[in-house]
Amino acid sequence: MMNYIWSAIFLIAFLYSCLTGKLSLFADALTDSSTEAVQFVIGLAGVMALWSGLMEIAERTGLITKMSRLLLPLTKFLFPNQRNPETLSSIIMSFMANIFGAGNSSTVFALRTMEKLDEENHHGPVASNDMCTFAVVNMAFAPIIPIVMLQIRDDIGSADPYSVVLPSIITAVCTIIASVIACKILERRP
Amino acid sequence: MSELFALASSGFIPIMAAIIIGYGLWVHAPIYDYFIEGAKKGLETAIDILPFLIGIFLAINCLTVSGFLGFLNTSLRPIFHLLGIPADLLPLICLRAISGSGSMMIVQSIMEATGPDSYAGRAACVMSGGCETIIYVLALYFGVTKVKRMRHALTAGIIGYATGIVVSLIVCKYL
Repeated sequence: MMNYIWSAIFLIAFLYSCLTGKLSLFADALTDSSTEAVQFVIGLAGVMALWSGLMEIAERTGLITKMSRLLLPLTKFLFPNQRNPETLSSIIMSFMANIFGAGNSSTVFALRTMEKLDEENHHGPVASNDMCTFAVVNMAFAPIIPIVMLQIRDDIGSADPYSVVLPSIITAVCTIIASVIACKILERRP
Repeated sequence: MSELFALASSGFIPIMAAIIIGYGLWVHAPIYDYFIEGAKKGLETAIDILPFLIGIFLAINCLTVSGFLGFLNTSLRPIFHLLGIPADLLPLICLRAISGSGSMMIVQSIMEATGPDSYAGRAACVMSGGCETIIYVLALYFGVTKVKRMRHALTAGIIGYATGIVVSLIVCKYL
């Protein structure tokens, strides 16, 4: 599917920049974005190594199995067939990191979760239900307190920077519910 | 309450690290050796996702500079006007699905233009927090797997995104 999305974006961009005469900008974007991606990964690599290291300790000492047993009721509804404690704890960690606004750490846990789900899927070419549910629900999770956003609001001179917190939480809850329902309904199709 | 959450946000990572290392010491595990092994795996994952990131950054940057989003904005404007949605929010609604850092700048400019406490300013904040960059996330997440068919992940993601937009517009109007 990425084949279609990727080429569609690329073609639209190319044709439109031909039309508007922005081909030189287009050329710059091509070279810049590859550099940008490498810089982004280098920035992320440290956090990834850190968390993978810590999680390795937690896994091998058995801490993870204990923690995920506590949170099992929460994940049972979303992932009814999931029994592997390591996968479950990595799902929970990803959600938690998201709620606490630790974006990069959340990405690391999400990728770990996807790797584990892929193993359970026997590296097959078709995504499993759990993969789709996890990816979509994790997208819908938002930080409870968007610290950067509140800082910007304060800087611009808002009378009440925190006035967006409650609406944000309500929106996130609705988005999560809608995403879960969408997944549960859509996954019944072959 | 808000101070409590700020504390929880900044404390989450150190506390998790302390619990994991403390437990490792408690059960007398060779925690340093485990850490190094895990860190090695983490760096391997970083290398694994790099090609997918280059691909997706490439597509998104090209789309942004081509000015296509500007075209989308002008053609959608009448529809938004009919629905009573502030036109200032249009660029954000279009860009949020594909670029995270880009949309943050747009939120800032919306707040500067309409005031941070206006309807558009508040809705922009809520929207950018509650909606994710769908295409980027899917490319990255499925990049580490062998999956070729994502099935309903994209559709469900778009449904969630649309819900986020609609709910943030309604909630900010009445709250």
